[in-house]
Amino acid sequence: MQRREALRLLATGTALQLAPQKLFAVLREARSLIQSQPSPRALKTHQYATVKTIAELILPRTETPGATDVGVADFVDLMLTEWYDEPERNRFLAGLADVDSRTKTLFGKDFLECSSVQQSEILIALGQQIAGEAGSSRSQRLNNAAASHGSHFYSMMRHLTLTAYYTSEAGATAELHFEIIPDRYQGCGTTPSGKEGLKQQ
Amino acid sequence: MSESTTYDAIVVGSGMTGGWAAKELTEKGMKTLVLEAGRPIVPEQDYVEHVPQWEMKFRGLGDRRRLAEDQPIQSTCYACDEWSSKFFINDKEHPYTTEPGKPFRWIRGRQVGGRSIMWGRQSYRLSDLDFEANLREGIAIDWPIRYADIAPWYDYVEDFVGISGEAMGLAQLPDSRFLPPMEMNCTERSVRERLAKHFGGERILTIGRVAILTQDHRGRAACHYCGPCERGCITRSYFSSVNATLPAAEKTGRMTLRPFSVVHSVSFDAKTRKATGVRVIDAQTRVAVEFRAKLVFLCASALESVRILFNSSTPEFPNGLANSSGELGHNLMDHVKAGGATATIPGNEDYLEIGRRPNGIYMPRFRNIKSKQPEFLRGYGFQGGAHRDGWGRGVVQTGFGADFKKSLSRPGPWRFGFHGFGECLPNHSNFVELDKNTVDAWGMPTLKIHCAWSENELALRKDMGIAAAEMLAAVGGRSIEPYAGDDPPGFTIHEMGTARMGRDPRNSVLNSFNQAHDVKNLFITDGGAMVSSSCVNPSLTYMALTARACDYAVGQTKKGEL
Repeated sequence: MQRREALRLLATGTALQLAPQKLFAVLREARSLIQSQPSPRALKTHQYATVKTIAELILPRTETPGATDVGVADFVDLMLTEWYDEPERNRFLAGLADVDSRTKTLFGKDFLECSSVQQSEILIALGQQIAGEAGSSRSQRLNNAAASHGSHFYSMMRHLTLTAYYTSEAGATAELHFEIIPDRYQGCGTTPSGKEGLKQQ
Repeated sequence: MSESTTYDAIVVGSGMTGGWAAKELTEKGMKTLVLEAGRPIVPEQDYVEHVPQWEMKFRGLGDRRRLAEDQPIQSTCYACDEWSSKFFINDKEHPYTTEPGKPFRWIRGRQVGGRSIMWGRQSYRLSDLDFEANLREGIAIDWPIRYADIAPWYDYVEDFVGISGEAMGLAQLPDSRFLPPMEMNCTERSVRERLAKHFGGERILTIGRVAILTQDHRGRAACHYCGPCERGCITRSYFSSVNATLPAAEKTGRMTLRPFSVVHSVSFDAKTRKATGVRVIDAQTRVAVEFRAKLVFLCASALESVRILFNSSTPEFPNGLANSSGELGHNLMDHVKAGGATATIPGNEDYLEIGRRPNGIYMPRFRNIKSKQPEFLRGYGFQGGAHRDGWGRGVVQTGFGADFKKSLSRPGPWRFGFHGFGECLPNHSNFVELDKNTVDAWGMPTLKIHCAWSENELALRKDMGIAAAEMLAAVGGRSIEPYAGDDPPGFTIHEMGTARMGRDPRNSVLNSFNQAHDVKNLFITDGGAMVSSSCVNPSLTYMALTARACDYAVGQTKKGEL
């Protein structure tokens, strides 16, 4: 125990604290995001809300936090502002505008005004488009860099949403079982069984 | 307060081999100055292995614009990420040039510890299959040493470093003095068994032999499996000069470590035909300083040590100090990689890895061992391993919603990869020269690098993909994807051979003890000394050669020979 405790103290993060804190983690993280990013920079209010809604549709709040809880839309805004180049940013924003065009054509209103069933219909259609993206091997498709520069708005959106969520403190430690200092390696490990089943580490 | 300028020995470089030279020379009683071009490293401040992704601004994706501006070459290396890019040079400060159509990717670290901070930690012995290869095939020149000469020095450094691994008793890959091996996971074990059945013991899978402690060792703690060693290790569980050799040298009280010291040249006395010391540019003040010593050890890396010698020309050595042979800077090698295959391996779905093992599997060389390959000389080893796909698989799926989220909380299928590392033949026409028209941020002339893979390396790379796919098919792999990339030389970060050893001063730079034929008190113990490249990761051999050279140099000094 002593060694384990010592290692914990060396850890710079606070993720080693256990279950009750995980709830606070969500709040703390959301607060820090709000503090560091007073307002969206690349996304206008309507765009920001659309991104937030799509992200929450992809990874909704269930018994664990969802995309909104961990501030996915803020991460998308950061990436659009400080990471992507201009053609990529334009492609993303055009894709976002196209989402509204689609709903206007099909349902006569903006995406945000649609029912969740209608919104899901749009995501299914977008999914069919990226599934058909030609020629890429499995490993290429799994490559984060390739996906992040992906030719399609929805590929970028999925990449950003999943990255922001699973690398957040809540996503990594409440949804997955990420430990900063596992202090062991088990090559044939099992997580506590029961209805939960295996959980990614 | 004035700085002392006279020492028994000067060591240029504080990385993998500089750290060893510092430790050995000081422990043998030499007052030693260690010169490091880069900044000091304070583990408690600089190591970042436990900083989680959520504390990084770009969540581990890196500050893309800054990297593109400052580190366009370095950031192509996996280890130069949002955490560890600070351990890699700024490309703008360190230019080099290449010939059109002959790219060379030079990945460098300039700080106390050098690249030993971010190295891959894989540690293997060469064998007589390697030491005799040039002679047997009539390639380049013969090594002046054999396995028996270096074996006790492998023992010696391994005892200090701590190498975990599995003893196999193979002639082509001699065992080290091992700490307990890291564990193979269930899918790796399944693959190992199936391969043994299919290939009659010719293709052997073992755990990587790695300079990471699996138990406490010589005051350093066992690995805690946090994963990203290249970000540092506060428990000093993997070997680096900062974690192990430099503290040992410090303990003797005889080491002076001087960071921010860019070595400009080695000074030479034409009367005694010896090196008298080195000239240094202080990286912060730009003031020139000269240090003197009885022994000079160049441990700055195969390319940087050569650059210093080219910049140290004298009337006696117009083409670079210690270069009467004309071989200095030639015979540049790197290992050829970017050949292999990946596949999904069904089964073991009830199991997963817990903890992040900073090591993979190893398959020792199997080509040109028993049977002869008509397409190429020598061979390659495979590194790789099995892991379950993570949440990243969800990016390219099309699902969404609660069920999708639930499915991603579970591990994906087991995916196995074989990634080849092939031997590169020594070739006089792969060389570097001084480019006086391009200077670095400290006014030092830079290198122009002329290097390309030969047909042999390209044939090895091609075979890697075929052999890997064949094995993955044999073990029941699905969605098998062979690949052959076009990584340029340099990118395996095993550059070597530019100041080769040899018996004959007319065709080699160093003798069998890493001593310059032309300048008896000058030693080069980094990768420059290699006569052939083997296919195994080279750092362990550099360490053993360094310890051996230090023993010889101090012995000769005490006898009054130097």
